[in-house]
Amino acid sequence: MPFEVKVPQLGMNQDSAVIVTWVKTAGDAVAEGDVLFEVETDKATMEVEAQAAGYLAGIRAREGDDVPVGDVIALIVESADEVGARAEAAPVVEAPDQVRGAAGEADAEAETKASPAPEPEPATEPAAAPAPASASILAPRPLPAPMTGKVLASPKARRLAAERGIDLAALRAQGVAEPIHAADLSKASTGGQSTLTATADGTALDALLAKAGDHANRAHLLAAFAAGAWRALFGAEDVGIAIRHLDGSSETLSNPDRGGTGEAAPALQLIDLCNTRLSGYAPATGPALTVARAGDGYALSLTVSEATLPMPHAVALLDDIAARIDDPIRQFL
Amino acid sequence: MREITLSQAVNEAIAEEMRRDETVFVIGEDVAEAGTPFKILSGLVEEFGTERIIDTPIAEPGFMGMAVGAAMTGARPIVDLMFGDFLYLVMDQLCNQAAKTHYMSGGKLNVPLVLRTNLGATRRSAAQHSQSLHALVAHIPGLKVALPSSAFEAKGLLKTAIRDNNPVVIFEDKLMYQDKALVPEEEYLIPFGEANILREGSDVTLIGTSSMRQVCEKAAELLAGDGISAEVIDPRTIVPLDEATILNSVRKTSRAVVVDEGHQSYGVTAEIAARISEKAFYRLDAPVIRMGAMDVPVPFSPALEDLTVPTPEAVAENARKIVTGALVHAL
Repeated sequence: MPFEVKVPQLGMNQDSAVIVTWVKTAGDAVAEGDVLFEVETDKATMEVEAQAAGYLAGIRAREGDDVPVGDVIALIVESADEVGARAEAAPVVEAPDQVRGAAGEADAEAETKASPAPEPEPATEPAAAPAPASASILAPRPLPAPMTGKVLASPKARRLAAERGIDLAALRAQGVAEPIHAADLSKASTGGQSTLTATADGTALDALLAKAGDHANRAHLLAAFAAGAWRALFGAEDVGIAIRHLDGSSETLSNPDRGGTGEAAPALQLIDLCNTRLSGYAPATGPALTVARAGDGYALSLTVSEATLPMPHAVALLDDIAARIDDPIRQFL
Repeated sequence: MREITLSQAVNEAIAEEMRRDETVFVIGEDVAEAGTPFKILSGLVEEFGTERIIDTPIAEPGFMGMAVGAAMTGARPIVDLMFGDFLYLVMDQLCNQAAKTHYMSGGKLNVPLVLRTNLGATRRSAAQHSQSLHALVAHIPGLKVALPSSAFEAKGLLKTAIRDNNPVVIFEDKLMYQDKALVPEEEYLIPFGEANILREGSDVTLIGTSSMRQVCEKAAELLAGDGISAEVIDPRTIVPLDEATILNSVRKTSRAVVVDEGHQSYGVTAEIAARISEKAFYRLDAPVIRMGAMDVPVPFSPALEDLTVPTPEAVAENARKIVTGALVHAL
């Protein structure tokens, strides 16, 4: 299964990014973490790293192209043999048309003008099938990534933050007003727990649980959603979820969204209150997710310390988990 | 210790040095019988005679040039320039000759000359008699520049200047001639390049030259009322500048306001602020604030003139802003 290389979201109000340079070219072997290309947004130029190892293939955006966030612009395939097929399938020439097409206007025109395009295009479809097809039906709402622009801080605050390992952007995300001064740094280590709440539609999840019958395990399914959302947002390799049962026991699931393989320290606690009358519970230590019934749907609450999980991250996480409960198919995207 | 005026302190310094060293003499307009318009030199001509207290015609370039020549040939002239504004008239003698002679003669000639003049606005003297031009000469390598902030400094710095083997320009604030301060009766000198910490503090450093020292001290009082602890530093000489004392203070307080009565642009405040920003950058928790005189000719209208120079209230206001972390000149 080829890994899709997408245009990342780098700023709060960023819709697209310009590909500045391709550091790797089609056919290059890449290791996870290798810089693939550089993108430029309104605020900054950033290197984008490979999220998987393999061979770069099917590059669809040229240097200088302005590509919408989330668009697949290349693939990382498993073997060198696959590179050729992908390259043919998605010739570089074709890229500008595709990109322009995404902007909405003159789709048909672009296709007719670019006469060589229609031929190879069908070939790309199967390869990249899952993403574009599902994207049209269930396009995930783009969530704002935490602001990455330069934080306004005094030189002293900047120096002390570096010495103490404090992330000034995270401090800003916690609501510390700019400019950040030395005295504001103490706000990084203190601060209690914050609770975020959300509701989700229960129809789809309830149907899924009913279908599973005796095998249904709501807590495990919720853990898989939470792990999937965590992985998607933070790009974590291993995600552990600690389920705290109401009898006082607890169980840690490693990568529940990937069949429970591997060993992972718990990133998040999960408390399933659906069989109780409770509507929520905020534990003293987080991050923790509680799920309770609310009418036909589910009431979710996420308790976090903003010092470790800044508000924008927490919002994105809970929103994604709620979206997965709304529509469990997202779990497979 | 007794209290004497700045005017008396200058008079004492000159008299003591003239008694000590017979090569010291005074030259300038209205210095003998008149004792200067500010009556600073009154009585000196009676003691030392017109050979050593020399009245000149109204011809600054002429008597300044004579003094430079006298200094090169073994005398120690004290040139009295009635107003700091007249510096423009002696620029060649001072900057091209006096400042460079030691260097250009390969060290064979010295110019042990003191140019005494003044600065300071708010005396209702209009734009040509109110300027504070010390930054002009501080810019020229080869000149030392002293800015006494009270009678005590005026005496100690002037005596050091007279004994220095290089040209020194000393600016007295013309508003302070009648201000009194404690001055020892016994002899003392104040070395150049040693700033004076007048008040210790932990939140902000106020650096004030000449009469701006008093402005900073009053500002520190106002700030203390708000619970803000201000350190006040008087550099006393801007060439040489006691950078270490200033930097040490800013390293402690992380904030600085630099106050000087010269025009703000390209001025003494700019130089000191730049050195702080450059050398204590990673200690700064706020922008360094410069407060000079407004960049306008000094107005004759008293109401307008008073608006052009830094006041204790304005200094305190700026200090309060940077201590409380308000956004100052951001973006």
